[in-house]
Amino acid sequence: MAAELKSESVFDLLKRFLETDEGIELRKKINLVYQFNIAPKKIGIDEVSYTVNLKKGEVNKGPYEGGKPDATFSLKDEDFVKLAEGKLNPQIAFMRGTLKIKGSLSAAQKFTPDIFPKPSKL
Amino acid sequence: MAMRDLVAGGAACAVPGSSSSNPLGALANTLLGSSSKTQERLKEIPIATATSSENRFFQDVEDPLRALPGAEFEQQPFPRPGGQGSEFLRGFRSADQNENGLADAWDEIQRSHVHPPPQANIPQLDHVYNRGPQLQPTLDGPPQRVLSNFLHSFVESSRGAIPFHPAPLPLLGLSEGDKQCIRDRSSIMARHFFADKSEDFINAQVNALLSSLDIDSDVHVKGPLPGRFRELEDYWNESQGSLRPGPHAADGWIAEFNQHRLDRSDPDAWAHAFERQHGANGWASEFEQEQQLASMDQMRGVNVPNLAAMEQTRMLAHTLSQNNDPKFQNSKFLQFVSKMSRGELIIDDNQVKPAAGPSDWATEYQQQYTRGTSWADEYVRDEVSRGPDRWVNEFTTEGEQNGSVDDRWVNEFSKLHVNDWVEEFGQQVEKGELGDSSADNWANAYDEYLNERVAAKRQSEASGGDYVFSGMNPYVGHPNPLKEGQELFRKGLLSEAVLALEAEVLKNPDNAEGWRLLGIAHAENDDDQQAIAAMMRAQEADPTNLEVLLALGVSHTNELEQAAALKYLYGWLRNHPKYGTLATPELADSLYYADVARLFNEASQISPEDADVHIVLGVLYNLSREYDKAIASFQTALKLKPQDYSLWNKLGATQANSVQSADAILAYQHALDLKPNYVRAWANMGISYANQGLYEESIRYYVRALAMNPKADNAWQYLRISLSCASRNDMLEVCDSRNIDLLQKEFPL
Repeated sequence: MAAELKSESVFDLLKRFLETDEGIELRKKINLVYQFNIAPKKIGIDEVSYTVNLKKGEVNKGPYEGGKPDATFSLKDEDFVKLAEGKLNPQIAFMRGTLKIKGSLSAAQKFTPDIFPKPSKL
Repeated sequence: MAMRDLVAGGAACAVPGSSSSNPLGALANTLLGSSSKTQERLKEIPIATATSSENRFFQDVEDPLRALPGAEFEQQPFPRPGGQGSEFLRGFRSADQNENGLADAWDEIQRSHVHPPPQANIPQLDHVYNRGPQLQPTLDGPPQRVLSNFLHSFVESSRGAIPFHPAPLPLLGLSEGDKQCIRDRSSIMARHFFADKSEDFINAQVNALLSSLDIDSDVHVKGPLPGRFRELEDYWNESQGSLRPGPHAADGWIAEFNQHRLDRSDPDAWAHAFERQHGANGWASEFEQEQQLASMDQMRGVNVPNLAAMEQTRMLAHTLSQNNDPKFQNSKFLQFVSKMSRGELIIDDNQVKPAAGPSDWATEYQQQYTRGTSWADEYVRDEVSRGPDRWVNEFTTEGEQNGSVDDRWVNEFSKLHVNDWVEEFGQQVEKGELGDSSADNWANAYDEYLNERVAAKRQSEASGGDYVFSGMNPYVGHPNPLKEGQELFRKGLLSEAVLALEAEVLKNPDNAEGWRLLGIAHAENDDDQQAIAAMMRAQEADPTNLEVLLALGVSHTNELEQAAALKYLYGWLRNHPKYGTLATPELADSLYYADVARLFNEASQISPEDADVHIVLGVLYNLSREYDKAIASFQTALKLKPQDYSLWNKLGATQANSVQSADAILAYQHALDLKPNYVRAWANMGISYANQGLYEESIRYYVRALAMNPKADNAWQYLRISLSCASRNDMLEVCDSRNIDLLQKEFPL
């Protein structure tokens, strides 16, 4: 099996979550489009893009095609999982340079770990 | 053996605690770089232990105030290396046969400490500590002695700014790399020592040193730098490219370094302050020297990136101060940034620290001393639980870690892409794009950053794939810890069972059953990292154990590590007496998910009544996120094994991950009815409530899970998120301080 990004699971969960009542609430609250460039090892290398469209409630693999995303985040696979699990604070990651942000910072600030549903453990 | 190893062999031992011991090694380390081959260092451990441990143990027994530099030597000169040192070693070595050896050795040292001081009579120490007439030592003997003595005398020449006399030396056999190091470092060091002297004097000093060592005396390095520095050069140029026209890396350093000195009001103040405070007696001076060298290392390691960061933050602070919002002006974040820009805070090892100004220096020194004490505590504790072999391993890894300091800071430096975000931030502030709340957000982020540092530290202790034993274990020495552990596990006292089982595997490290049950206990306690670590040991001891292979597959699935999970689940099939024939050996090299799933489907057709096959299938479908199929598999298995609480939890977790939270909660309830202390199910309950937006509810379940296992780190993170989502920010501090009693009182279930 080709090495899949761990982030894939998180995005998949988010995708399902956005269809629930709680997910619809979240969409209304944020109503922005984020793009994530996830790198397996080092930012900028072999990145895989995901689009989280909180206007339409969609999560897609690939860069945003409807124009410019409100904010684009670039980070490592591992860090993204930590971010989604609340183990890494996005602002701190940003200060450290392990999270890069393009676009509107105020849009980026609405991106918080609690928008991600948490994975349950078998 | 390389020169570096001969000289620096003992130094690694001196680094973890304070750096007071083994100045010789540390000096050589500073000069030659601390990278060295593990094997060679291993051989030298006994010696290193003998010379450095004595000093350290003395510090431990002294109370911290008395443990000021020089104080211990006023009361009693140096321990005789032949004395307690070797006695300690004997005890240490005999530990394999005699469990009390270590304790005796320890006591021995404690006792002998009270005895009248022995005479210091070894030439090297004499030289180092007695700053007598022998400023220029006799230069003969083995090469490493000659070199270290020679370098010492160079260092000493700085004390009185005495011109340094070249001396004829025997052939030292320095490699080109060593020469390069000495050349680079001595020229920088000299600028540190002789800051008040003219450039000519400095050059003369360095040239004298270099010519004696038969090193090309051109202070300004020519040609390519050795490998380690080439990397630095890249990073340096990368970050400074826009600021200055790319000077040579080494020159850049020196200039940067001098500039940094000017930033501090009185560059020598801290050194003098130290001298005033502790007297200029031999030992203290030597120590000061040491610290200068050590701080040189820090200069190299930290300040170069810091200066870049400072420059950037200065720009940032300027931009921010243009913002007239009073709220913003008073924000902690702005204060943080301006502190950074003034150099009052530095980023060191990914942590923001206050810069050690002149007056802070002594404090820092004392802190280092205090750390020495905890080192010894740790050492004693470790000895109890690990035995000497472990200790040796640990020692070498620690040595390696210290050895990689150079690489580390280069990495660190590369992480500081300050340019990007400063620009970004500045632009946005100018455009007024940040809302009112942003200042508070950033300020909070800074506060959280401090918390995160604590968490990160804890994390780094637990990570690395090695099993981490608990510090204090009452079950060590128990006649039959395995039986006790099994009993506790059956009763559902998971955290207690973990301790008993740890005692078992400490006693019998090859007991697969001990490790396996320990792994299960951790998994049920919601700690997959430790579960994996324990299960790996179980698998080492018993490579074909099916339960172990399945547990490893499950834990790796939880950690989203697909390839590893697939490997173990396939291993389960291959080692199964009934289905092993299905597994084709050539598959093992290139596992494809589809193939493995197909094989398990075949297996389930061979014996549809085998619940285990359905369980593995369920896990596999979780890996591919085909949750409907996974749910069906687990439900089939549950018909065959309705009393399996972990199976109910697996069903619940799968339902939760396919956002059927209400069903999930029912399944968890089943699991908890069968096993009330199932921490993982409690934590999963919390997750399901949180994912439905029922944060208040989720908090109660997280708290319950944490009350049973305060080490469940995931649950702490999730609790924190739920607290802020439920607008219970008043309890965040309680959460951060992990005060479970208060949380339980506030959120009863």
